Amino acid sequence: MGDPTTIAEALNQMWVKFLPDIEQRVAVLEFAATAISEGALTAELREEAVAAAHKLAGTLGTFGLDEGTALARDAESLYSRDNLSGPRLDERATALAAQLRAVLARRT
Amino acid sequence: MAHRVLIIDDEDDIREVAAMSLETVAGWEVMVANSGAQGLTRAATYKPDAILLDVMMPGMDGPTTFRELRKNPVTAKIPVLFLTAKVQATDRRRFADLGIHAVLVKPFDPLTLPTQISNALGWK
Repeated sequence: MGDPTTIAEALNQMWVKFLPDIEQRVAVLEFAATAISEGALTAELREEAVAAAHKLAGTLGTFGLDEGTALARDAESLYSRDNLSGPRLDERATALAAQLRAVLARRT
Repeated sequence: MAHRVLIIDDEDDIREVAAMSLETVAGWEVMVANSGAQGLTRAATYKPDAILLDVMMPGMDGPTTFRELRKNPVTAKIPVLFLTAKVQATDRRRFADLGIHAVLVKPFDPLTLPTQISNALGWK
């Protein structure tokens, strides 16, 4: 059985290594949220947002950020909706991206 | 003797964390592949004791990769566990119908991932 401290240190090193990729996924969600508010969300960007949120949901909890996984699942659900023109959807999308960014900052 | 596990996942971070977990926590031998196509080749070459297979991958996804593994006599009997960030009851039934041994959910705890795999496969 591996030492939990050793595992934690290895995870911290991997977090630093993969943080740019993780931040890029949040940036996709920020970009998509802006596009919603401007009525300019393309099908391609929407697919990118679903994929980015899906990957964040799988990754963040593995690094101990369960709150991040929950937020990412909300974002994946939002961008997977049939209709993206609901009231205050842009605000919700923007808030989710901002909350995810804050979660990353706390881990960093 | 240490178990030998092949991890097939297109996400670098998930692949590395899972590999670190299985190697460091359990002392298993780990091979990795970053796509379904690469996974098919490595599975046939290394003949692992089990395969941890991501469901959502670009190109050849998990279910397609699994079906291809089953077509090859060399890899047909290797136990496969799906690893996915999104699983619903209908997915579990569909995966079970395919012949998947178990479905593990992302995120996973690196400290307990080997135990989850062992329990699913009846390894002691």
